Amino acid sequence: MSDDKIFDVDSVTLRFGGVISLNDVSLHQNRGEILAVIGPNGAGKTSLFNSLTGVYQPQEGNITFLGRDAKPISIIGKKAHRVSAAGVARTFQASRMFSALTAFENVKIGAESHKGIGVVGAMLKGPATRRGEKASDAKTIELLDFVGLSHRANVVSASLSYGDRRRLEIARGLATDPQVLLLDEPAAGTNPSEKVQLTDLIRKVRDVMGVSILLIEHDMKLVMSLAERLYVLNFGSVIAEGTPQEIRANDAVIEAYLGSAVDETKGA
Amino acid sequence: MGGFGHYLASHFDTLRLEFWSLFVGGVANGFLYGMVAVGYTLVYGVLRLINFAHSEIFMSGGFAGYFVMKALIGTSVPSGFATVYLIVIGIVVGGLVGAIVATILERVAYRPLRRRNAPKLAYLISAIGASYFLFNMAGKEFGRYSISMPQPYINHPVFKIFGAPVQLYYIVILIAGVIMFLGLDRIVAKTKLGRSIRAVAQDAETASLMGVNIDRTIAMTFIVGGALGGAAGFLFGLGTGVVYTMGFTPALKAFTAAVLGGIGNLRGAMIGGLLLGVVESLSVVFVQAAYIDVVAFGILVAVLLFRPTGILGERLGRAA
Amino acid sequence: MKQVLNNVLLRRFLISVAILAVLAVMTGPSGSTLTPTAGFTGSFAEHSSFFGFFETIRWVSFLFLAVVFFVVWTVWLSWGDRIKSGVNRAVSAPRAATQKRPIRWGIAAVLIFVALILPRVVTDPFWQAAMVEQIAVYVLLAIGLNVVVGFAGLLDLGFVAFYAIGAYTTAWVTGALPTPALFGIHMDPFFAIPIAILIAMLAGIILGAPTLRLRGDYLAIVTLGFGEIITIFANNLYGITGGSQGTALIPHFSLHIGPIKYLWGLKPVPYYYLTLIFVVLFLAAFSLLEHSRVGRSWTAIREDEVAAESVGINPLKYKVMAFAIGASTAGFAGVVTASQSNNIFPSSFTLSFSINILVLVIFGGMGSIFGVVLGAMIIQTASMYLLHSPPSGYQSSDLYIYLGALLVVMMIFRPAGLVPSRRRRREIVLSEAGEGHMDEVLTGDQP
Repeated sequence: MSDDKIFDVDSVTLRFGGVISLNDVSLHQNRGEILAVIGPNGAGKTSLFNSLTGVYQPQEGNITFLGRDAKPISIIGKKAHRVSAAGVARTFQASRMFSALTAFENVKIGAESHKGIGVVGAMLKGPATRRGEKASDAKTIELLDFVGLSHRANVVSASLSYGDRRRLEIARGLATDPQVLLLDEPAAGTNPSEKVQLTDLIRKVRDVMGVSILLIEHDMKLVMSLAERLYVLNFGSVIAEGTPQEIRANDAVIEAYLGSAVDETKGA
Repeated sequence: MGGFGHYLASHFDTLRLEFWSLFVGGVANGFLYGMVAVGYTLVYGVLRLINFAHSEIFMSGGFAGYFVMKALIGTSVPSGFATVYLIVIGIVVGGLVGAIVATILERVAYRPLRRRNAPKLAYLISAIGASYFLFNMAGKEFGRYSISMPQPYINHPVFKIFGAPVQLYYIVILIAGVIMFLGLDRIVAKTKLGRSIRAVAQDAETASLMGVNIDRTIAMTFIVGGALGGAAGFLFGLGTGVVYTMGFTPALKAFTAAVLGGIGNLRGAMIGGLLLGVVESLSVVFVQAAYIDVVAFGILVAVLLFRPTGILGERLGRAA
Repeated sequence: MKQVLNNVLLRRFLISVAILAVLAVMTGPSGSTLTPTAGFTGSFAEHSSFFGFFETIRWVSFLFLAVVFFVVWTVWLSWGDRIKSGVNRAVSAPRAATQKRPIRWGIAAVLIFVALILPRVVTDPFWQAAMVEQIAVYVLLAIGLNVVVGFAGLLDLGFVAFYAIGAYTTAWVTGALPTPALFGIHMDPFFAIPIAILIAMLAGIILGAPTLRLRGDYLAIVTLGFGEIITIFANNLYGITGGSQGTALIPHFSLHIGPIKYLWGLKPVPYYYLTLIFVVLFLAAFSLLEHSRVGRSWTAIREDEVAAESVGINPLKYKVMAFAIGASTAGFAGVVTASQSNNIFPSSFTLSFSINILVLVIFGGMGSIFGVVLGAMIIQTASMYLLHSPPSGYQSSDLYIYLGALLVVMMIFRPAGLVPSRRRRREIVLSEAGEGHMDEVLTGDQP
């Protein structure tokens, strides 16, 4: 883990009409870190994700991302596809796949999306195009293998189980050569054994591919075992930050969760 | 640049002189647009879809009104009480036929798609197909030429506003329009049907869980929208005559009005209609007659590009 | 129990009668405002031949057909699935064979051969002209619209505008417009081909860039509006387009390259071959495009635009590209039409024309190049046949009654089209089951 801040969120405020979704939020992620953002429902976690990926445009504040070649880039003001090109990949709370396509096709789309458009090349199917396709194919196979979906490569993605869908989304995200992977509730809807596999996979992504991880989760057991550092959001503000141990003992956090049905040992 | 200034100056002079008479005509047109726009907005509210075939509902009201007027008036020149009676019949018949066509449309072209949970693209295409089927059938059965409607009155100016004569025709539209809008506003805000419509518009699934009969609500929505559209068709035909393609342009403009006011927003549809009618009427001064339609289309494109939620915003769920 | 049974059957019978009654009126005589019921009564009371076998009163024929329809429907409800699976089993072997590449090349070769010798076989002048003007040109347009509607999933109702632009560009370049031609040189329409295609594509980009951010149903209306605006301008800008009177004479194609000299004249057959060459070129190009990363990006955008964006696909860029590429075939079709018919009138470029092309794409199977070509050929041939030997009471504009009904029927029973693209059919099935995010493009709902 280095001291480079791969994400630097500075006093970001996001409003929708009269509702303040993110209220003067500041946080950062170090390169190589597995960082988690937790908080009760409606705390603003997905809004944060959407702000980090260019889907929402906060009205105030700055978000700086350390892109490829260690060049800092401002995220606010960029469209989602540009943010993706800069090196930010994400998964969605309810897995969004290209349902009618196979797992292989899903990942392949991720793999080829960052190259130039080459319409003419596409129509002429020249040698350069063919080489590019071979490379994308190889990368796709490699990634499917990495996430453990090789045996399901030709299955239509709508037929995949929840756990497999999560893995597919991760593979597709990784196909874009990201610096950081944002995971939105990856464990939602998975059974205990899938959760264990998922935890291992996430760690593998960071350890083997060097991709920083930022995750939102409700499953406390998973978060506490995986995350190296945590932020806690409530009502759009950061109320705590620290290691899992520190957060567990934090009064403000306990109070925020008081009354909600979150149980640390729950997760099945 | 001097030439342009001269152009503007001379046109503004004309505008000043003609303002009130253009304004009155614009308001009348606006009421008609509003009546049709309501149909679009109501259906959009409950189904989240643009009923492309609404133009044919308008057209069928026009033809129904024509046939009734022809049968009842023939070559006579009615006046007084007979005039009122004829106009009311025309509106009622136009509205009735509009409602019937709307109901058939919903049953045949939309409901089967709802049953199958078809993708939204299918509804659009089905609507286009239905529209083409209907107006070409009208052309086949009733002829492909325009014909003017026997008048239930002599269309003389009734009084003057600021020097501008107000034709009886406009008065008829105004009265009919105000009654319809007030009536509709009341229905949506106060009656059980209105509450069902608003509930389905906000959240169809929850509404059905709360006991609202979705199919019936949708059917009623089409009936109400169809009635107004059909009545508008009669009123429009009264002034302009009927022809099998009469639905296309007015309906497109009414759709513009609905979007202008905020699609899904009932009061927005009425206000949008009036606004569009007046703006269009006044622009006659600046733009050649042939290009008037371009003004409306231009407004449509501009609204969609720059403020797609319209003036009042898209919300049927709120009490309009 | 018996009551219920009767009720269901009765309903089905009544619906059958209703459907056939509508069909009777659709195919029956016409009326007028003076005789509004003439069409209706005539449709049932007239005498006409029952498929050429014998003369009878129409209501008898149609009642009989209603009974047949009812019987077939009832049989289909009970045995339809068995019949379908039987048919599937029967065609599964040939169908599997057609997936193999050499077989596909073989089929393509046969089709091309047939297309080449067609003018020898079909010698009727009406049909020869129809082959070019109606069928070949419409096939071109359908292939183009298929890129927009089928590949990219965008509903463009103003497609005729690009066709008009191609035609008018040809007129301009050859000096047939009141506006002087490019650099004052009157070119041969042959050289108008690349120019017209380019300008049509540019028009696609210009129209698309601001409007393709809109959600699907608004996009449809905006494109419709634009199509109308172009028609209004073409009709009224006498100084530029010649107005409603149309353009001056546009020369036929001619080719002068070195020793090769060829003049396309009034005969349609040479146009047919020229168009055929381009059809094959477009087909090949678009087929490659479909299976390239561009095609995959379109599929991604169609299936889930938000997810596509999250992996770096710029939806606007690809949508504009689809528009421009689709417009290119329309532009070329415009050149062919302009050159062959010698002059063009704004009145030929109507919304109905766009809808006609849309029907071809929907009927054939949006997203499937082969389906769209087949659909175009079937419908246009049928439409031409109706013009050539119209059954009694048929007027040329009745065609749209059938096309409109066809659209509704297709949407209810077979939205994927005649020869569906496998992927599209899967998407529709998934969408109906509640899977996927296809509708977000159309309704603009937030993720």
